[in-house]
Amino acid sequence: MIFSFELLLEAVVFGILLGCFYAAVSIGLSVSFGLLDVPHVAHPAIMVFGAYCTYLLGQYGFDPILAGIVLMPPFFLLGMGVYRFYYETFEKRGSDAGVRGIAFFFGLTLIIEVGLILVFGVDQRSAEAPYIGKALSLGEMRIPWRFIVSFGVALVLMTALTLYLSKTFTGRAIKAVAQDEGALRLMGADPVWIKQWAFGIATAVSALAGAMLIIVGPVEPSLDRVYIGRTFAVVVLAGLGSMTGTLAAGLILGISESIVLMHFGASWAPAVAFGLLLVVLGIRPQGLFGR
Amino acid sequence: MGLELVLRDIEAGYGAVKALHGVSVSVSSGETVALLGTNGNGKSTLMKCVMGMVRPTQGSVTLTLADKTHDLTRLSTEEIVNLGVAMVPEGRRLFPKLTVEENLLLGAFRPQARADIGKNIAFCYETFEVLKERRRQLAGSMSGGQQQMLAIARALMSSPKLLLVDEPSVGLSPLLVSSTVAMIKQLKERYGLTVLMAEQNFHQAIRIADRGYIIVHGEIVFEGKTVAELETNDLVKNYYLGTAT
Repeated sequence: MIFSFELLLEAVVFGILLGCFYAAVSIGLSVSFGLLDVPHVAHPAIMVFGAYCTYLLGQYGFDPILAGIVLMPPFFLLGMGVYRFYYETFEKRGSDAGVRGIAFFFGLTLIIEVGLILVFGVDQRSAEAPYIGKALSLGEMRIPWRFIVSFGVALVLMTALTLYLSKTFTGRAIKAVAQDEGALRLMGADPVWIKQWAFGIATAVSALAGAMLIIVGPVEPSLDRVYIGRTFAVVVLAGLGSMTGTLAAGLILGISESIVLMHFGASWAPAVAFGLLLVVLGIRPQGLFGR
Repeated sequence: MGLELVLRDIEAGYGAVKALHGVSVSVSSGETVALLGTNGNGKSTLMKCVMGMVRPTQGSVTLTLADKTHDLTRLSTEEIVNLGVAMVPEGRRLFPKLTVEENLLLGAFRPQARADIGKNIAFCYETFEVLKERRRQLAGSMSGGQQQMLAIARALMSSPKLLLVDEPSVGLSPLLVSSTVAMIKQLKERYGLTVLMAEQNFHQAIRIADRGYIIVHGEIVFEGKTVAELETNDLVKNYYLGTAT
């Protein structure tokens, strides 16, 4: 292995862009799992579903980002519906909601995957936009525009959610709901309604993240399997429910993966996410930004 | 300001265990009423019946506000809070991983309180200076006394008309109990609050109460129209003061 400063710099720059992308695809989960304690293993599958919806809208000439934004309201409603169904059938009945919830969301994952295969087949699909396939040249470096776009979207999402959660009454109730539902009732807020609303927001965010997915690369129905480990690693590494932490954890994961990729080869990269997770949780069980 | 809380012939419990047997209690505008009794006699259950957290199997709970009577047994906890009833629950029930300020702001969740938020938070910080100093600190990392202050302040953030306080003295040192009670008294005078307070510390409770009930094994055994009546009652002597046998 030859060490080169240029190679390292390139790895870091690419890692930052990749990291922001990881943060963008994890932020919905940071709300649903991090703040609401819902074992939402279907999160990546919903994003892939969002990516396919983006693809469909693309057939009618929609730009992928615009498609992602247009998809947010219907996905918000979808999320509220999914949560309500989960609540009525599982959570309401109490005690081992966590374990049974995982079964529920795994089922949802399979339904989405099989549904996508039936409708679209197993072939890869990709989106078209002026910024896909082109790169920004910075000296020797070539930075793909599609990653710069996801970088921008990640920052906007992160800022918007952080502000929403800290500045609005509903946002603060979302932060409180998993800590003590009974106490939240005493504040005059209905915890079930709050969770349903928050799950809707998490799902709407996943629609936009799905658009990011198809901007960054072609998608296939089983793509969710690639992201399930990474997104959960980012959310846990961040410290459950911290939006700033999600960005930081995404960056750490992105940069270390990219350095490992360039210096040791692609097969080592996936091991990095969990290696990091184990080390950080060993030192700081509450995660980097956990309270 | 017409306000009247009436609990009539309440029977309530948890499954097969009955905690209240035909209890009747009333509280009207501007009064501070103490609900006295040692642990496990049904004080908290009675409070929870008012808040809709425990549903009585028999009897009625009504709140009259501005000549309109609400049947609290048919309303959810959130709806009762929205009428202007706030409770400082047993064990404080703060949100431990939120900051002091976030806890206070959540107290103002009900729409009617949002307009008063600036005024209320200024008042809370003025009354409880330590909360202002620690407003960025996580609620769970504060001492018991500070948490109790935060719980009371959070309830006040909802601009309540009726304040229920469940066992403010539990887990506090005698000095803190005394200052907490003094604080409630001060708040009550400034706000014109109506207060129903459950307490096992008789001496502290009668410092601020106008009158009180003594509850034993889920029944009201004595109703004192004045503090003097409570102090001279044989039962009180028996249960609290240890002078009678």
